[in-house]
Amino acid sequence: MGKAFDPALIFEFLPKLLAYLPVTLFILVAALFFGLWLALLIALPRLYKVPVLSQLAAIYVSFIRGTPVLIQLFLVFYGLPAFLQLFHLDVSRANPLFFVIATYSLSSAAFFSETIRAAVNSVDRGQIEAAYAAGLTGRQAFVRIVLPQAGMIAFPNFANSVIGFLKDTSLAFSIGVMDMMGRGQTLISATAHALEVYIGLAIIYYLVVIVLEKGFVRAERRLQRHERKWASA
Amino acid sequence: MTIDIPFIITCFFEIVTALPLTLVITVIPLIIGFGIGVVTALMRIYKVRFLHRIADFYVSFLRGTPVVLHVLIIYFALPLLIAKLSDQFGWGIDTASIPILVFVLTAFSLTAGAYMSEIIRSGILSVNQGQVEAAYAVGMSTRQALWRIVLPQAIGGILPNLCNLFIGFLHTSTFAFTVSQMELLGKANVVASVNLKFLEAFIAAALIYWGMTIIAERITAFLEKRVTAYNRGGIA
Repeated sequence: MGKAFDPALIFEFLPKLLAYLPVTLFILVAALFFGLWLALLIALPRLYKVPVLSQLAAIYVSFIRGTPVLIQLFLVFYGLPAFLQLFHLDVSRANPLFFVIATYSLSSAAFFSETIRAAVNSVDRGQIEAAYAAGLTGRQAFVRIVLPQAGMIAFPNFANSVIGFLKDTSLAFSIGVMDMMGRGQTLISATAHALEVYIGLAIIYYLVVIVLEKGFVRAERRLQRHERKWASA
Repeated sequence: MTIDIPFIITCFFEIVTALPLTLVITVIPLIIGFGIGVVTALMRIYKVRFLHRIADFYVSFLRGTPVVLHVLIIYFALPLLIAKLSDQFGWGIDTASIPILVFVLTAFSLTAGAYMSEIIRSGILSVNQGQVEAAYAVGMSTRQALWRIVLPQAIGGILPNLCNLFIGFLHTSTFAFTVSQMELLGKANVVASVNLKFLEAFIAAALIYWGMTIIAERITAFLEKRVTAYNRGGIA
């Protein structure tokens, strides 16, 4: 073991870590995809005040928002195999990636459902009345009128959550997933230069977050281009 | 599925003994972070020459990287730094004798400072400019106007955000487990490994965090009503 801290090593580690960026992004995208659908399923009973289902959804959301994601990760990792055994499915030897995506889907669903609920509630009531007046059915009014407007309102919150979840994916290594952090751990075992690896990881995460932020700002502007500017008219 | 429900209760009482450490890891960084947050927020608002760029980078970098990395980087970097300084100036500090908790608290304080800075900045900016002008008009100095007029109103406005940050840090404190601190998650892990009942132990830990979160939410709702009492709209 040479010097205690060698800045040159950071640059040597960067490409090795970057090779695993796709795994991190894959976890993020897969979790967001499932999370969004699940979020809609959770938000709908609460919006339409379906008895029992809406209370269950509220408890689910409160539980996920009330527990650390690291605990959720362990709960899914140990709990899901036990649960699926009831249906005679053996997943105890499944890829840990599967558990990570399951956890982040379940977790992001709770946060997104709250965002969706708030956004839908903030759409002007007159819009849905106008839709009914024009002869749209309840379903058409929701999908064609309310959802697009709610989506635009929810977008900034959604973007913040995505960035939060990107950072949370760094916990996946704790159940043995080979993402950037996991690759970092193997580099540390091989070279015993932990600090350089972690600094390299911090640089990569920071750059990815900056790129995402810039992208979201542009997307937001594009989404809101139909908004009429009363003040500047 | 075999869940040993009585064992969850046993776990609960065993794990809950680690609650004080979790609260220490949550609250102390928030207090130190509040100080850092006020200073950096003021630097950024008043655009203090050169310093505001550092403050901007500090906030953006710490908010843009995972907290677990902050803990690990400080855990490895701070002992090296202290050892080097100690050699240079002959302080004779043995870094191995510094408890790991100090590194954990340092890391979380820096993180809390970055998040606090954004919250406090938004709070200060949301105070009506007329309030500051009125303070100047009655002869207060900038310092007096800040302490007596702006900050109290700003804190009232950002109370919900501060509560969310508390809950966030309650959950973030689990990362102390990665450097082998015996907080709630660390304790849960020990209880789980000793009894080989992982699911039960983590369910018990989850229940403790959930309960704490609900209590924190209730307290904020109450405080919010009190703090903004002067400013309530509507009738009665």
